[in-house]
Amino acid sequence: MKVLLSWLREFVDVRVETARLAEDLTLAGLAVDAVEGRGEDAVLDLDVTTNRVDCMNVHGVAREVSVLYGLPLKPLEASFAESGAASADTLEVLIEAPDLCPRFCARVLDVRLGPSPSWIRDRLEVVGVRPINNVVDLTNYVMIEMGHPSHAFDLARIPEGKLRVRWGREGERLTTLDGVARTLAPRVGVVAGMHEALALAGIMGGASSEVSETTRTVALEAAYWEPLAIRRAAKTLSLRTEASHRFERGADPEGPPVATARIAHLLQKIGAGTSRPGLIDSGGARRAPRTAQLRTSRVTLVLGTKVPEARGREILTGLGFRTRGREADAEVYEVPTWRGDVSREVDLVEEVARHHGLASIPSTVPPSRGVEGLRPWQVRERAVRETMVAAGLTEVASYSFVSEAEAAADPAPRVALRNPLSADQGVLRSSLVIPGLLGALRTNLRYGRRDVGIFEIGRVFGPGEPLPREERRLGILLSGAAMPAHWSQKARAADVFDVKGILDALAARLGLGALRVAPEGLPPFVHPGKSARILRGSEALGWLGALHPDLASAWELRDEAVAAEIALDGILAAPASPARFRPLPRFPEVSRDLSIVCDAASPAADVESRIHAAGGDLLRGVRVTDRYEGPPVPAGRVSLTVALRYHHPERTLAGEEVEESVDRVVRALRAAGAEIRGE
Amino acid sequence: MSDPLDALQAKVRALREEFERALGEARDPQGFQAVKDRFLGRKSGAVTGLLRSLAGLAEDARRDAGRELNALKQDIEARLDGAREALTARSRDERLAHERVDVTLPGRPPVLGRRHPLTVVREELEEIFLSMGYEVYDGAETDDDYHCFEALNMPPDHPARDMQDTFYVAGHSGALLRTHTSTGQIRYMLSNPHPPVVRIICPGKVFRRDDDITHSPMFQQVEALVVGPGITLGDLKGSIEAFLHALFGPQYPVRFRSSFFPYTEPSVEVDLGCIVCGGKGCRVCKGTGWLEIMGSGMVHPAVFEAVNARLGRMVYDPEEVTGFAFGLGIERVAMMKHGIDDIRLFYGSDLRFLEQFPA
Ligand SMILES: [Zn+2]
Repeated sequence: MKVLLSWLREFVDVRVETARLAEDLTLAGLAVDAVEGRGEDAVLDLDVTTNRVDCMNVHGVAREVSVLYGLPLKPLEASFAESGAASADTLEVLIEAPDLCPRFCARVLDVRLGPSPSWIRDRLEVVGVRPINNVVDLTNYVMIEMGHPSHAFDLARIPEGKLRVRWGREGERLTTLDGVARTLAPRVGVVAGMHEALALAGIMGGASSEVSETTRTVALEAAYWEPLAIRRAAKTLSLRTEASHRFERGADPEGPPVATARIAHLLQKIGAGTSRPGLIDSGGARRAPRTAQLRTSRVTLVLGTKVPEARGREILTGLGFRTRGREADAEVYEVPTWRGDVSREVDLVEEVARHHGLASIPSTVPPSRGVEGLRPWQVRERAVRETMVAAGLTEVASYSFVSEAEAAADPAPRVALRNPLSADQGVLRSSLVIPGLLGALRTNLRYGRRDVGIFEIGRVFGPGEPLPREERRLGILLSGAAMPAHWSQKARAADVFDVKGILDALAARLGLGALRVAPEGLPPFVHPGKSARILRGSEALGWLGALHPDLASAWELRDEAVAAEIALDGILAAPASPARFRPLPRFPEVSRDLSIVCDAASPAADVESRIHAAGGDLLRGVRVTDRYEGPPVPAGRVSLTVALRYHHPERTLAGEEVEESVDRVVRALRAAGAEIRGE
Repeated sequence: MSDPLDALQAKVRALREEFERALGEARDPQGFQAVKDRFLGRKSGAVTGLLRSLAGLAEDARRDAGRELNALKQDIEARLDGAREALTARSRDERLAHERVDVTLPGRPPVLGRRHPLTVVREELEEIFLSMGYEVYDGAETDDDYHCFEALNMPPDHPARDMQDTFYVAGHSGALLRTHTSTGQIRYMLSNPHPPVVRIICPGKVFRRDDDITHSPMFQQVEALVVGPGITLGDLKGSIEAFLHALFGPQYPVRFRSSFFPYTEPSVEVDLGCIVCGGKGCRVCKGTGWLEIMGSGMVHPAVFEAVNARLGRMVYDPEEVTGFAFGLGIERVAMMKHGIDDIRLFYGSDLRFLEQFPA
């Protein structure tokens, strides 16, 4: 909101430098975003918070300034002479919807329509309002000056001189001043004639009763509208105006008579007309003033510093609060009608704090409670992230909402948004990889980056009651080279064993024990031959694998992408049992390599477990160190080299003991259909 | 007739010359061995033969000649050892020269991953608050109207709800995406209805229907809540100053100004002296010298009342306890720290962006 300094000075004789004024207003809660112009012509651009509708006008700001600098606030001049027949003789107001309009004030003005004098036009233009004619300009001028919006009807165009304040009717039509023909609804309030709607209540006037060059008599309206009614109507119509902005935040119920009087005063002052006698004031029965109590002890308690009681009283009375005696240790204040935002003690504390100055409140710190630590699961979540980073992956963050079309490859049920910004963000993600990490890969491919290793830790969503189900997950995706080309070696393309190795490292880092893979029950979006479910004991954690070629081509991926996604909540919550020390082996290990040719379809894990079962206690480790398929190995067969590690905790192993175990292993493998090629 | 000793000395001289010639021709260990055999060999070595021939001499002459010949023998051995070492050193040098690599070739770096820049900032904030005695409290990203608005003194149709246009879940009566981490205030107090002493931060993702260069429909906040007997606005100021000084350095001033949030009263906006221009005024701070960094305030008694009402008993008695809360955007901190001008970059997964920051 723009405030012209010379206009402000009509009400408070503030002489401090404009920059200082801007800073003091800002600190007191009326943020000055910018100062344009210099001297008397300076314009302050204020960002008034939604609760301070009383400061959305020059006089309200002047009141704040008067308290800031201890200067007197000059009242609005509103005296004028009345002439002619009573207003009520030619204009009748009926409030048919008191839940829309608790108070409706009106005056009948005899006007000589024409342009406003330049001082009015200039001021309006400076604050961004287009001058129209003297009558309309005065309603705008007074709204900017004292805050209350009003509206001028051409009395001749109000049938029978009767105004009815009522709710709109379904399908009712009204062309507003901006020339838009609008269809009304029962939740939209109107000021109507006997039959037709004439204006949108509290929002905008109508074209049919607009003041024009031929207007001689004006019905001037200034009402108090229920904030919620205006808010809903403005929302329904998607129409926000200066008037609706003020009314929906709660105007001053005592504003209407003041606004009409001030307009009548200025009309007379510029020689553009006179008011007929009497104010029509429908629903203007006096409301009981609201009060709020303030204990000085409470000010001290909340602010942490003492503000003298007299200073508090000075601030509050300067702002228009009136002392109404004491109750116990509290001072009772009557809340001014324009301060709808104030209702309780803490609101008064805030007023005192604002004008006492936040800078004068000494900084303290609450008593120390020592140092806190992360919870175990939070420590483990950081460990997950560190492990991924150590594995060479870069963390990405994607939106929680995704495109249903892109997410559709994941068969998990999804939660849709009722009001997404676009269809691209229409559903909550059910997977981190699909489509988030895939999208991240595509983004980087488009920028010419082929080697991508990324991860994300975040939540996925599924249907649930009372709230959607949320699950914390880890997603990993690699594509292109896992090891980039180097002058010493060729690049190595990422494959599923990179992902598996990373998850094994994670399991080791978190002390989860060995993860198992199971090649069945796979999600449909992975390559059925290069993927597995991941299990920890019998608990399913997720999946790993190459993405299905159909999906890869739908995403225009050039290289195979390998990925994994696992649930984190369970493994973060798992207690980290402390590692148990095992005495160091005092005797050297013995190792033996076995070359095995076996059925290519039988999993290496089966070979390993068969060896473990046959090897006996002294066999401490089995590892596949080489694998070969192709001639001279017959088709359908595969050659594996397996390293066996032996040791005895208490003595040096005898050669025969190892040979015996190896023999058992060889027999077991042969029994299972494998050939042994040298030992 | 000449002195036999003179004759021997002449032979020794001749042998020396002969040895030097032979040594000079030897090229490898075998050559050195052949030279050694030729002069010092047990059976046919020239020096050995001369030594044997001394037997016929008088004792004095034999002693002198023996001394002479032993000196020759030692010299030959020393010269041979020296030549062998020289050869070893030469061949090692040749081998090493042959093993030379071009150290100007690129090294083989381990593949380095990185944390997201927002993770880095969030963890930094968490560390600061942990050291100040705050617990890190986690909250859900979906929530309901009660926890997101109503309990925070924003009844339905409250104008302040406009400031944070909300995403709602379809086909669900009340589920929404939280618009701020202030939901954590309510959730924590409701789930900790014991002696009303609270000191938490609640970091997390929040969602608003906004999308432009300064607004992302998803962003991250950290909310803080401190509640207890005697917590004051002075404590709010001191705690925020301590935090901002820890985060940005003590050289930047902190300014507090009155503001409005429905769930705090008094409400306080916090500005930090512009870290770009040092307060002189620049484009980033729009010439003011200040950067808006966070919102804060004293917990509104209505918030305590709402929590008590839901708990069904008086736990957070606004007459007994007070508190302060503040919230800041993690992106805003990261943007200020790194000079980033488009918030959407954080969620674009562009490695050219993500790899710019140390992690
Ligand atoms: Zn600056």
